[in-house]
Amino acid sequence: MSTTTTASPNEAKLWEGGKSPFNSEYGKVMMWYFLMSDAFTFGAFLISYGTVRFSTNGWPDSNEVFRSFPFAPEGVHAPLVFVSIMTFILIISSVTMVLAVHAGKNMDKQGVVRNMILTIIGGIAFLSCQAWEWNHLFHEGAWWGANPFLNADGTASTTNFTNFFFTITGFHGFHVFSGVLINIIMLIMTLMDKFEQRGHYLMIEKAGLYWHFVDLVWVFVFTIFYLL
Amino acid sequence: MSHEAALHNHEGHESHGHDDHGHHEHHDTFLTKYVFSQDHKMIAKQFLITGMVWAVLGGLMSVLFRLQLGYPDSSFPWLESLLGKWAKGGQITPAAYYALVTTHGTVLVFFVLTAGLSGTFANFLIPLQIGARDMASPFMNMLSYWFFFTASMIMLSSLFVETGPFSGGWTAYPPLSALHDASPGSKTGMDLWLISMALFVVSSLLGGLNYIATILNMRTKGMTMTRLPLTIWALFFTAVLGVLSFPVLLSGLILLIFDRNFGTSFYLSDIFVNGVGALSNEGGSAILYQHLFWFLGHPEVYIILLPALGMVSEIISVNSRKPIFGYMAMLGSLFSIAILAFLVWAHHMFVTGLNPFLGSVFVLLTLLIAIPSGIKVFNWLTTLWRGNIRFTPGMLFAIGFVSLFISGGLTGIWLGNAALDIYLHDSYFVVAHFHIVMGVASMFGMFAGVYHWYPKMYGRYLNNSLGYLHFWITFAGAYLIFWPMHYQGLAGMPRRYFDFSIWESFKQFADLNRFISTVAMIVFATQILFLINFFYSIFKGRKVTVLNPWEANTLEWTTPIRPGHGNWPGEIPEVHRWPYDYSKDGHDFIPQNTPVGEDESSTH
Amino acid sequence: MSHSHSDQEAHNAEAMAEIKKVTIILSVFTIVELILGFWMIGMTSAVLKLTIKGTIVILMMAKAFYIVAYFMHLKHEVKNLIMTIVVPLLLFVWFIGAFLWDGSSFRNLRNNYNPYFKEQATIKVEKKVEERKATDAKHEAAATKHETVETTHEATKPEVEPYY
Repeated sequence: MSTTTTASPNEAKLWEGGKSPFNSEYGKVMMWYFLMSDAFTFGAFLISYGTVRFSTNGWPDSNEVFRSFPFAPEGVHAPLVFVSIMTFILIISSVTMVLAVHAGKNMDKQGVVRNMILTIIGGIAFLSCQAWEWNHLFHEGAWWGANPFLNADGTASTTNFTNFFFTITGFHGFHVFSGVLINIIMLIMTLMDKFEQRGHYLMIEKAGLYWHFVDLVWVFVFTIFYLL
Repeated sequence: MSHEAALHNHEGHESHGHDDHGHHEHHDTFLTKYVFSQDHKMIAKQFLITGMVWAVLGGLMSVLFRLQLGYPDSSFPWLESLLGKWAKGGQITPAAYYALVTTHGTVLVFFVLTAGLSGTFANFLIPLQIGARDMASPFMNMLSYWFFFTASMIMLSSLFVETGPFSGGWTAYPPLSALHDASPGSKTGMDLWLISMALFVVSSLLGGLNYIATILNMRTKGMTMTRLPLTIWALFFTAVLGVLSFPVLLSGLILLIFDRNFGTSFYLSDIFVNGVGALSNEGGSAILYQHLFWFLGHPEVYIILLPALGMVSEIISVNSRKPIFGYMAMLGSLFSIAILAFLVWAHHMFVTGLNPFLGSVFVLLTLLIAIPSGIKVFNWLTTLWRGNIRFTPGMLFAIGFVSLFISGGLTGIWLGNAALDIYLHDSYFVVAHFHIVMGVASMFGMFAGVYHWYPKMYGRYLNNSLGYLHFWITFAGAYLIFWPMHYQGLAGMPRRYFDFSIWESFKQFADLNRFISTVAMIVFATQILFLINFFYSIFKGRKVTVLNPWEANTLEWTTPIRPGHGNWPGEIPEVHRWPYDYSKDGHDFIPQNTPVGEDESSTH
Repeated sequence: MSHSHSDQEAHNAEAMAEIKKVTIILSVFTIVELILGFWMIGMTSAVLKLTIKGTIVILMMAKAFYIVAYFMHLKHEVKNLIMTIVVPLLLFVWFIGAFLWDGSSFRNLRNNYNPYFKEQATIKVEKKVEERKATDAKHEAAATKHETVETTHEATKPEVEPYY
């Protein structure tokens, strides 16, 4: 085919059939497209948030809403501090996940186990932080359909700020939760030498893709809800 | 290294899997062969037959509400025996009418023309035509069907709840869909509708991921992307559309669930309900739901249409004994339709309060679709031109598809203009437009596919005479039903109204409405004829005795007449040419697995 | 694939260096974002605020790029895979653009034609602020669940356990 030979010879060969054009097994291709699909789910949520915010005259100031910190002395207002800790927890757990995938590529079972455990701990820590924050907001009177916070300009607010906050962070938290479950299953499979028997750690790589995606979504959720 | 090894292992596993199957076939129980089957061909048949059941139900619903529209003053006692309180005194109640219209739309769009069409033919044709033993993940494929089946059952159950199924239109716009008090159908019926649709999204995601991964990864040796039959390309783009747009609907529906049950107001802005008073929900935007819905909704019409486009291209080429005209142009137009599908959604919303300047951009993008559509139409016509045409029933349906695609597509250009749409929106003109171009045309594509691939599915032929009868009545009926609706729409007759006889301006259409209803019933009866043909021929049809009854080039005709799980008993054939070498170098047809001869003129 | 042992080790070291680099970049970007966020608190200049927000969005996109390219390893995949991932993501441009455009248009429509909506945006509600301050002072949570803005909380406030 004259059209395909213009690409570099190596890559052109990939399309000739009988093998994967991406040089990866079908599971990874599927995982990538699943993540694309999920990106559209989250995209739709965040874009809806933006649309409603753009169609409203006032909006609560995130620094007024998210200003608490666990065990902090009374009256201390610390906007952004707690969420930055959550963000770093997720970034670090992403790094340990990369290390686990890397160890898997080198068939280093010990490395995989160690880093998977760290990743799982990171995930659980993140979920605990989120649980604390939700609980705190709930006790301040915020919930689906209830918004105690005024707009930044002092006018009455609608409930949409909290509606979107709980829905989107909840949906993200659900993804983190399922990510932790997947990681635990992967850890057990590693400990049972499943991947050693298969001769490859591709499952870890796919779980890694999912975990990084969860981190990626948090980058957007964090920025949009807490900073913008 | 490990990665390479895995890839290699995977291939090795493939051939092993097949060998195993030779042994397994005898141990297949009824349950694993016909119910929880992981064979793509059986799953395709499951999708097809479930789709048919829904088509009958959806069609029957249209007959019932056409009865009301055609005979608004008559009463039919048998209706009361059938529908009970929904047809007190033999006349359908307004609530039942809206429920019927809504369910008709939902099941035909999602269950028949999405699951029934692309579910059937993607499952059946992808592995056979690309030369694979099965889908990338047969298990996920099976799950995809069973999610669809569960969604179907839940939708079906919503027909039987006390307050009736959802009745706010298949688009489920809030506030009708968001407030329990809005209508009887907005209560339990809507909850079931939402659950059913959510499961359907999961089903289509599982299916779509599988189709994409299979087409990319599992092609046989020599099957480059430009040697794929156009069916596969069309199904590929269909899957991509589904994977990227259904999640947006899912998000929209999740927000709707919160609005219904958890006191949020994503879609509700200062609503006042009779008898309840002002709602505390406010500040949301109902237009947001429409944006989210149509971000799926528009790609959805191409999810419905593209498989038909692909199958029709293949069938026309085979039965004209000519290569498809402009293969790369066909490909390019499929691709651009797929992209444009994502960019034009708000043309469904010109009169909702959409920013008119934004609307003008959507007009431009919408009208662009005419270009690839035109390219496709001309390519089909030029493929037919001076062809040695075999008028098989499948071919007739394919040609009928082209006719309907042209007539329905042209009215799309009218509706795509915001200025005209202000007048035409929500009228019978719209009903006529989308029924012809999306509904009937895609049904024709589906019929064409069923007639054409039936010998491969069941090893028998459908009855030809019944096929011709089916085609001509359906074809004439489609035009007789929907063509007059254009005039009604231009005269201002709004869609979704229960009874036109009380309007002075629409009284003149009483006879026309009765005519349309009569034809609709005849056409529905003809579809029953097709079903009889279909099920009779499974057991008693004329047996296929040759491998390649249509003398086609594609790989599915190199399999045994009744292929087992794994498709090819021996090696998978290697591909040496594109699938459209018809009437070439004095040969009527040259199958894809024939090596290129020495003195053959240049290949595609 | 038969890499020599030293090749393998060099490759490993390279990969580890890359992971380290990306971790540092992500952390630095996040810290910069946070600094900008702190800087914005109490800021009144709308133009400056918008500029900072724009910068934050750019940083966010950069972080997303580094996660996808290096952590998700996309940069080292075959070019075709990269294209099939990146090209469909371009759909987000119009997805975001059209939605936000219509969102702000909806606000303008309501401000023009719905006097009540417009009026709501000008009336300051002092009460709730005081109340929040009061709750802060008393270290008590105000459980205002499912209550509208107009209702006073004092009368109906349920007993809630002190929470901090």
